Amino acid sequence: MDIFATFKISSSGMAAQRTRINVIASNLANINTTRTPEGGPYRKKGVVFEAVPVFQKKLDSEIKRNMKGVKVVEIVEDQTQPKMIYDPSHPDADEKGYLAMPNINLMEEMVNMLTATRSYEANIAAMNTAKGMAVKALEIGR
Amino acid sequence: MNINDITQMQTFSSGINKGIEQKAPMDEGSFGNILKDSIQKIDGLQKEADKAIIDLSSGKSKNIHETMVAIGKADLSFRMMMQLRNKITDAYQEVMRMAV
Repeated sequence: MDIFATFKISSSGMAAQRTRINVIASNLANINTTRTPEGGPYRKKGVVFEAVPVFQKKLDSEIKRNMKGVKVVEIVEDQTQPKMIYDPSHPDADEKGYLAMPNINLMEEMVNMLTATRSYEANIAAMNTAKGMAVKALEIGR
Repeated sequence: MNINDITQMQTFSSGINKGIEQKAPMDEGSFGNILKDSIQKIDGLQKEADKAIIDLSSGKSKNIHETMVAIGKADLSFRMMMQLRNKITDAYQEVMRMAV
């Protein structure tokens, strides 16, 4: 199969990881947000990836159709209960004095961010390898 | 080397050029046509890369990697064309060296 298929697959991987980094950055920025337009505290967001085939045409072989890139299907919100902190002086505290804080663990988000960065770099490495192989192939018969 | 090897070379060229799903038999296009076709496709990739660079600098495209992928594609296909050109000129010179 052609070399540009690798480019397409890796490019989709990179785009997906960028989206994931954006979501993680959003989570980190809102780690203390108690007020949102929908009401309630900020809810942790996560991404859902889906494998999509890069070759669509029916005439392509079975092998080609199994080559899959990645696509962000949806961004889901965490549905667990928010953390309740006792803080009656806060304007958003409810009548018992409890404040609902987002259920975001800083360490977890930092580690997720590292993983997303490494995945992004891994996609770049894959693409550079494919490009290197193509350039080397051009040396045949030089 | 005889003239038939040049037609074999054009099979090679259409095989390695991106976007040319050349399943047509060789007698359908003359050598010049096929070469022109390949050069147009490569030119298309170059223009795409230029457009991607302009989009990135003007802020219209937010993805750096899309630009880099377009540049990589253009670079690779151009290199392929240069290798092909080298081969063709070598073949041509070989033919011209034939004593008449």
